[in-house]
Amino acid sequence: MTSHSTDGTVFESRKFTDWPTVKEALIAKEIGGAFILAPMAMQLARDGVPIKIVYLGHRDGTAIVVAKDSNIRSFQDLAGKLVAIPNRYSNQNVLMHRMMRQYGMAEDSIELRELPPPEHPAALGSGSIDAYIVGEPFAAKAELDGTGRVLYQAKDIWPNFISCVLVVREDLIEDERVLIQELVSGIARSGKWLDEDIDHRMQAADVAGQRYYFQPPELLKYVLSKPPDRVKYTELAPMREDFDEIMQLAYEIGVLDGQIAFEDYVDPSFVPDLDLRSWEFDELPELDIVRAEALGQ
Amino acid sequence: MIRKVMLGALLWTALLTLLHVQLNIGWDGLNTKVKVIMGLEREQMLVGFLPVT
Repeated sequence: MTSHSTDGTVFESRKFTDWPTVKEALIAKEIGGAFILAPMAMQLARDGVPIKIVYLGHRDGTAIVVAKDSNIRSFQDLAGKLVAIPNRYSNQNVLMHRMMRQYGMAEDSIELRELPPPEHPAALGSGSIDAYIVGEPFAAKAELDGTGRVLYQAKDIWPNFISCVLVVREDLIEDERVLIQELVSGIARSGKWLDEDIDHRMQAADVAGQRYYFQPPELLKYVLSKPPDRVKYTELAPMREDFDEIMQLAYEIGVLDGQIAFEDYVDPSFVPDLDLRSWEFDELPELDIVRAEALGQ
Repeated sequence: MIRKVMLGALLWTALLTLLHVQLNIGWDGLNTKVKVIMGLEREQMLVGFLPVT
């Protein structure tokens, strides 16, 4: 998130540890918006929670991981195996079903089990699951730990994969359009800044790792560079065809209890023009402080 | 008589306004809004996230 706005507004982030608390915080108006799973945003809108998707968090950045010495070499090899998913309402769950259909496999041919993402690498390492599908950095973690191997990057099996979306409260969309526009434009500019130079990604790994995610910066640097298109922060406009496909699949597999019109849960009016410029600085404002702190530890 | 009606209407309006602030906005929220309007504070928005997908 940016608190380096040049327009006088400060955006602060609040870390949550579970989805129900995020939902309650949105309803209670404790937070103005949140990055949440795409199918979850659809279900919340269906449940009458007054939110709309205004932008995406990122594209791709998800992988199916198997044990390093596993004999699983293709998606069909996952038949009869136990695979961890982050959440029933995750697009990772939808992706697994999409792949099963693509390969003509029965929907119950792979056992899918919800597991909190931070536990995925350890569960794979202990052999209690055969594989997992998760957003970064927990796919890269098993690779770096030497316990896991990426079977597929989401970008290779569902190009431009959507995981997290930015939802904001409808009352803010109606009453505080300038505020929401500034937020979305700030994220878009940050995305451009990240994707235009690999050094920018390394800086972001240092700052985000220590200030926000509390993850080792080296892990985030790996995520953001191996390969560089492992996760993308541009092309984040919410597109109708993407969401229609997710909704149709999520409904058919029983994740959603019904469908909802695109206009009722998405507001693309804040998507900035393509010629929006990146941030003008070449070094993140907090970088020196963060790197000095890291050296002092 | 007119003065009494005017005073009553004024008090009723004031009471409703106070109730509206209490129930719908909150005194902290109002305080922040006033400070933002007066330029004493910058507007803030809190965005939630989970460090996982």
